[in-house]
Amino acid sequence: MTIPMKYHRKILSASLISAAFLLAQPVLAEYTVEAVANGGTIEGVVKLSAAAPQIAPIEVTKNQDYCGQSIRNPVYEVGKGGGLQNVEVYLKDITKGKALITDTISLVNEHCMFHPRVQGANVGQLIKISSNDPMLHSTHTQNASTNATIYNVALPFKGFSVTKPLPAIPELIKVKCDAHSWMHAWIWELDNPYFATTGDDGHFTIKDVPPGTYTLVAWHEAAGENPASVTVTVIAGKTVTADIQLTAAKTH
Amino acid sequence: MTSRRLLRAVVRVGLRRWSATVLLASVTLMIMAAMVYAQDVGDVHQGKLVYEQYCALCHGEKGDGNGPYGKDTTPTPRDFRQGTFKWRSTPSGSLPTDADLEEVLVKGLFGTSMSSFATSLSHDQRIAVIAYLKTFSPRFASEKPEAPITMSQEPLYTPESAARGEVVYKKMNCAQCHGDEAQGDGESADDLSDDWGNPIVPYDLTEGHIKGGNNGADIYRVFIAGLNGTPMPSFADSISPAEAWDLVHFIQSLSPDYPKYVTEADLRHSLLQKTSTGFTCR
Repeated sequence: MTIPMKYHRKILSASLISAAFLLAQPVLAEYTVEAVANGGTIEGVVKLSAAAPQIAPIEVTKNQDYCGQSIRNPVYEVGKGGGLQNVEVYLKDITKGKALITDTISLVNEHCMFHPRVQGANVGQLIKISSNDPMLHSTHTQNASTNATIYNVALPFKGFSVTKPLPAIPELIKVKCDAHSWMHAWIWELDNPYFATTGDDGHFTIKDVPPGTYTLVAWHEAAGENPASVTVTVIAGKTVTADIQLTAAKTH
Repeated sequence: MTSRRLLRAVVRVGLRRWSATVLLASVTLMIMAAMVYAQDVGDVHQGKLVYEQYCALCHGEKGDGNGPYGKDTTPTPRDFRQGTFKWRSTPSGSLPTDADLEEVLVKGLFGTSMSSFATSLSHDQRIAVIAYLKTFSPRFASEKPEAPITMSQEPLYTPESAARGEVVYKKMNCAQCHGDEAQGDGESADDLSDDWGNPIVPYDLTEGHIKGGNNGADIYRVFIAGLNGTPMPSFADSISPAEAWDLVHFIQSLSPDYPKYVTEADLRHSLLQKTSTGFTCR
C-alpha cells in the first residue's frame, strides 16, 4: 500500500506522539540546561529547633583491633553557632538553569566509616568507591524508598577502588556496609545542579539560580519533616538568605 | 478497510486535522503495544493458574512471600515485589533474565524449601509462570536485565589450583563473613540481614552443597554477580578471572564429597533424584 505524500507529515507526527507516550517516564520534571547570565544566590544555615538528642557512641562489634571499641556517632553533628552538618539542601521542581555537574564523586571507606556521610550528585555522574582499611568492606547501595539493591560492591583489601555509574533515574541512595552494620552513607542523586550539603557550621550556598520562586528542600537523616521545605524568591544578582529550622526528631 | 480509506472516512465526518492525528497516534500505539506483548514468551494468564496452584502457598497470592506455608521456612520464600533475585547470571543489582528464573525452577535451591519443577512443570508452564511472577514487580516493566556476565573457560581442577584458591580466599578477605575455616562463622557473620531485614547467615562452604549449584560456573557466577538482596557482594571489579577459577577450585575442595559433583550431569541426576516427588513445601 502506498500512502499519499499529503499524509506523510501526519503519520510522522502521529508516530512522534506515540513514541513520546512510550518513552515518557512517570512524571519527572524535565530539566533543561540554559545559560544563567545574572543568577542569584541562596544561602543560609540549617539549625535544629532544640538541642540535639544525646546519642550513644557506636559500639564497635567487628574488627575491634583496627576499628577500636567505639566510634563517635555522627548522626547529629552540630557546629559552633548551632549549625547542623550533613543536611542536603536542594531546589525542587526547577526546570531550567546551569549545566549539570559531571565530576566523579567519591565515597571513601576509612577507619570503619564512610566519608562523606551525606552528599549530592547529578544523574550521569560517576562515583569512585575506595577503601583505606585492611579488611573487607562492602558498598551496598539501595534505593532508600524501596530498599531495592542498586549494586553491592566488595572492597576486599586496602587500596582497592572502583569507579561506577550512579543510577539512571534520580533517587535517594542509601549506602551500607554489610560487614560493619554501623556504616551508613546517603547520596542524594538529583536531576538539577542546585543542591548543597551543609558544612560543619551548618551553612550552605547555592549559586547561579535563575530569578524566580522555588521550593527549597532540606533533608537530614534523622531530623526534620521528611523532607522540610521553604519557599524562596531569587532576585537577579542578589543573595537571598533562607535559614531553615529542623525539629530534632524526624516526623513523617 | 485500508488505512487510507479510514483516514478519508475520519476526515469526512468533519473531525479536525489534529483529531485525526491523535487517532492515528492511538492506532500506532496499540500496534506497538501489541508488538511488545507478542515478544513475551510466556502466557501470563496460564502463568497465573500455574502460580496459584504451585507457588502461592509459599510465595503468597500477591507474590509478597507471605503464603500460608511460607512462614515457617528458612530461608523465607522470595518476595517478588522488588525484582530482587539472588540466583542470576546478570551483574549486581540487575534484574534476572528469564533463563535465570527458569534455571531456579528446573534445579530448585538445594537445602531450602524451593524444590525442582523439572518434571512437575513443562517448559511452557515454567515460562508462563515466569511471565506472571514478573508482574509482581514494576521493575520488569521499566527496566531490562543487564547483559549476563561473561566467563573464560574453566581451567582443569588440580590440587595446585585449589591451593592457589586458598591464597585468593585470604586476599579477598572472604573470612570476614565466611570464617577462617570457611564454616560460615566469620567475624561479621552474626548480625547480617537481607534487604527485607531478615537475619541471614553466610554459607558454610564445607557442607558440600552450594545452593546455587556446585559446578565451577555456578560458583564463579556468585563471586562476579553477587547475590542480590543479601550481604554477598560482587567481586567483579576486584578479582581476576584466574583468581576466581582458583577460588572456585578451593571452595570445591572443601566439599567432603569432592570430586563427586564436578559435572553438570552428576548434579542434575542428584537433584532430580532428590526432588522427583515434585512439589513439596516444608
